[in-house]
Amino acid sequence: MKPHHQFWLILILGFAGLYLFRELGPTNYAIGVLTRCMILAIVAVGLNLLIGQAGLVSLGQAALYGIGAYVAAWLTLRADVPFLPAVVSGVVAAGLMGAALAYPSVRVRGVYLAVITIAFGLVFQNVLVEWVPVTGGTLGLTGIPRGEVFGVRLTRQIYFWVAAGSLAASFNIVYALTYSRYGRAMRATAQSENAASALGIDVARTRMFAFVVSASLAGLAGALYTFLNLFVNYETFTFFQSVSFLLMVIFGGIGTLLGPLVGAGILTYVPELFQDFREWQVFFYGAMLAAVMFLMPRGIVGTISKLAVWLTARPQTRDAKPWPSPAALPVTMVGGHVEGTVVAEIKRFTIRFGGLTAVNEASMSIKAGTVHGLIGPNGAGKSSLLNLMSGFYQPTSGTMQFLGAPTAGIASSHLARRGLARTFQNTELFGDMTVLENVLVGLHCQYKATLAETILRLPRFFTEERAMVGEATQLLELVGLTDYADELARNLPFGHQRRLEIARALALRPKLLLLDEPAAGLTHGEIEQLKELVQTLTAQGIAVVLVEHHVDMVMSLSHEVTVLDYGQVIASGEPAAVQYDPKVIEAYFGTGDLLVPASENERPPVVAGSA
Amino acid sequence: MEQILQFVLSGLSQGGIYALVAIGYYMMWAATKAANFTHGDIFMLGAVSTVILAGLGIPLPLAMPLAILLSAAAGALIERVAVRPFNQGPSSVGWMLTTIAIGLMMESAFTATYGPLGKPLYSPLAQSPIRISGTGIYPQELLIPVVAIAIMLALEIFYQRTIVGRAMLAVAANRIAAGLMGINVNRISMIAYAMAAGIGALAGILLAPVAEASPAMGALIGLKAFVIAIVAGMSSARGVVFVALAYGVLEKMIEGFISTGARNAIGFGVMILLLLIFPNGIFGKREVVKV
Repeated sequence: MKPHHQFWLILILGFAGLYLFRELGPTNYAIGVLTRCMILAIVAVGLNLLIGQAGLVSLGQAALYGIGAYVAAWLTLRADVPFLPAVVSGVVAAGLMGAALAYPSVRVRGVYLAVITIAFGLVFQNVLVEWVPVTGGTLGLTGIPRGEVFGVRLTRQIYFWVAAGSLAASFNIVYALTYSRYGRAMRATAQSENAASALGIDVARTRMFAFVVSASLAGLAGALYTFLNLFVNYETFTFFQSVSFLLMVIFGGIGTLLGPLVGAGILTYVPELFQDFREWQVFFYGAMLAAVMFLMPRGIVGTISKLAVWLTARPQTRDAKPWPSPAALPVTMVGGHVEGTVVAEIKRFTIRFGGLTAVNEASMSIKAGTVHGLIGPNGAGKSSLLNLMSGFYQPTSGTMQFLGAPTAGIASSHLARRGLARTFQNTELFGDMTVLENVLVGLHCQYKATLAETILRLPRFFTEERAMVGEATQLLELVGLTDYADELARNLPFGHQRRLEIARALALRPKLLLLDEPAAGLTHGEIEQLKELVQTLTAQGIAVVLVEHHVDMVMSLSHEVTVLDYGQVIASGEPAAVQYDPKVIEAYFGTGDLLVPASENERPPVVAGSA
Repeated sequence: MEQILQFVLSGLSQGGIYALVAIGYYMMWAATKAANFTHGDIFMLGAVSTVILAGLGIPLPLAMPLAILLSAAAGALIERVAVRPFNQGPSSVGWMLTTIAIGLMMESAFTATYGPLGKPLYSPLAQSPIRISGTGIYPQELLIPVVAIAIMLALEIFYQRTIVGRAMLAVAANRIAAGLMGINVNRISMIAYAMAAGIGALAGILLAPVAEASPAMGALIGLKAFVIAIVAGMSSARGVVFVALAYGVLEKMIEGFISTGARNAIGFGVMILLLLIFPNGIFGKREVVKV
């Protein structure tokens, strides 16, 4: 079932179920419980975006929920703010707090967010109890009036539908983000930070965005909770509640659409059964979390849908098409720079790691429409130089001009957006995304539709998405992988992974393409095809830097070759000239006279094994 | 002036506890790029099990090492059962959830059986406070930072001089390469967790005579220690201990000059700010991306 079918099915069946429930004439208590369940589900839906897409965990969701609740309560009680603005303020406050927590913590390692959010949750509780004039201390804020919208008083019966509508809206937001470039970017950062930033995605910002969305939804839920419960108290917003939100997502199935809704339902109704456990209640929650993790890490929905896929799967035959097929080159890439103009100019690049100078005063000039070979023995500094050029390392000294502008201090993701693409020595694909999605991530920066257009699914979103899928398909055709479009990237054979990585890099519509050992692990036939592809690209004016150990390939393709040894450029020029440069021969084979027959040599021959 | 001396001494004492727990987070993190998230509960286990063992009539000099051994075994078990299977790949978060589950279960199991209230542990060093110009402090409290620094120095020797310690450094630097050099990476990780747990338990035992041993004693301290280890940069025991001691003193200063209620909020705010200024931690080196 396609995601958008799932989405509409859940929405329609959900509302039908709610309608039926109301027709059965439930008690006020039952309506209240279900309303609360829907409010908690809003938090779970938001948290699912964070965990399932961005791969981050928050253990302070209850505190963000609490911020929404307290802000709405305080504004209503102390400033007579009406229902709608109070709720909106709750959302904004929680979102801002989310940004403040995420920015410092996700830059280095996503895991840190979990620690920071837990700590924040505990401090939040502390503040609620201690800051009596604002929060009412342990008593909390009481006597909150029921909300009113456009003159309609929000009684329990009506509020039920307000909660349902808010849940549907939140569900829609998360669905729309998940199946758009935003969700793809989040999944990409979760699976390979390096590849994501090489494709122009700002990893820290993407993570922050995911957290701000989930924090805002928690704030929305909190504000709604305030007008359901009509009083707020610190006891609702505990670490334990944060764990319970997490459980909802995991129980239901991380990353699934329906999962958090199922999870919220279970965790609202099951604890009522646990009341008798008393002091063992927390133990039971812990045991439940452990049991799910050990026995059913995909959660209920995830496990069932996996089972369904397994039962209905039919074997398919897929064939890699001959490649490259230059005819498939997307129009966006046809005709670039005039051959020969300088694309990148490197002057005296140097980088030191502690005492080791990996690259030492290396200078290079890379011209449009040409292949610039970069060779040298292992450890010569080739990859370091590539990392310097693509912004993964910042040089100790030296400069680079890319398309006429200096690159000093510019992050790799920004360079990528300017048209500097690269592949990795050890392929870094987004393994759990499909082949097509991998290329679509590469197109991330070409999208023009705004966030609002994406969430509301306005026409431009669809036309653009179709155009991008078209371009991505063309790129797959270029490398002969169209048949594999819906296969997970990690299932591809190695040679195909290399091809996919090149197609993905081309999605940036690069002016300069850095290939880091693209032929490593390829068969002889594949190498010939790769050469053909590189020539196709240079014919379009793309500048290619080729780091390779296959000297034959480098020599036959390159217009210019630079040889590195111990971080220094020891030779540079046309392939033929470089090949016979004594310094190059020495770097690769040592001093020359070893190969000279012993009879012509004045020294006594070296006898193996002699003492 | 006397007041400040008092804050510094009791702050160092508090910081010593953070240091011993945070060292554990550092060791686990170095070995596995993961940790027992609720390491604070191991700290609690050390204190509470000593009290229980002592209650059974086992003399303290025997009960304490027993409790430390027990906690180390728990640490090793957690590594094997809850961390290793759930720490596949750089962005896995499963270990976080499984260790939290275990922490929740431990804490609530002790609350239900041992009781939620704290029980004191006897120590000859916590009987009569030393008077330092008007204010009193137990010798036990002064002992804590001394032990923390001693453990730190011992660890440094362990890392530099012993074969297991060097293997641990190798695993921290590059897990795969260490494995290829014939180091049993899994066993080294397990040893790191066991050692971390032993040190954490020792911290609990040191604190119990002055603050009582209760099932809830570990949660907050564990968390603060984790934040401290992150802010320090997860790069060396020395850095972790330094930040921990400084944080302890900062907390006492906030308590003394502002209010007890503001302690956690301000302390946490300072930590967030430090992380904002030093994204890799104060003593952390910028990680070179391997591409």
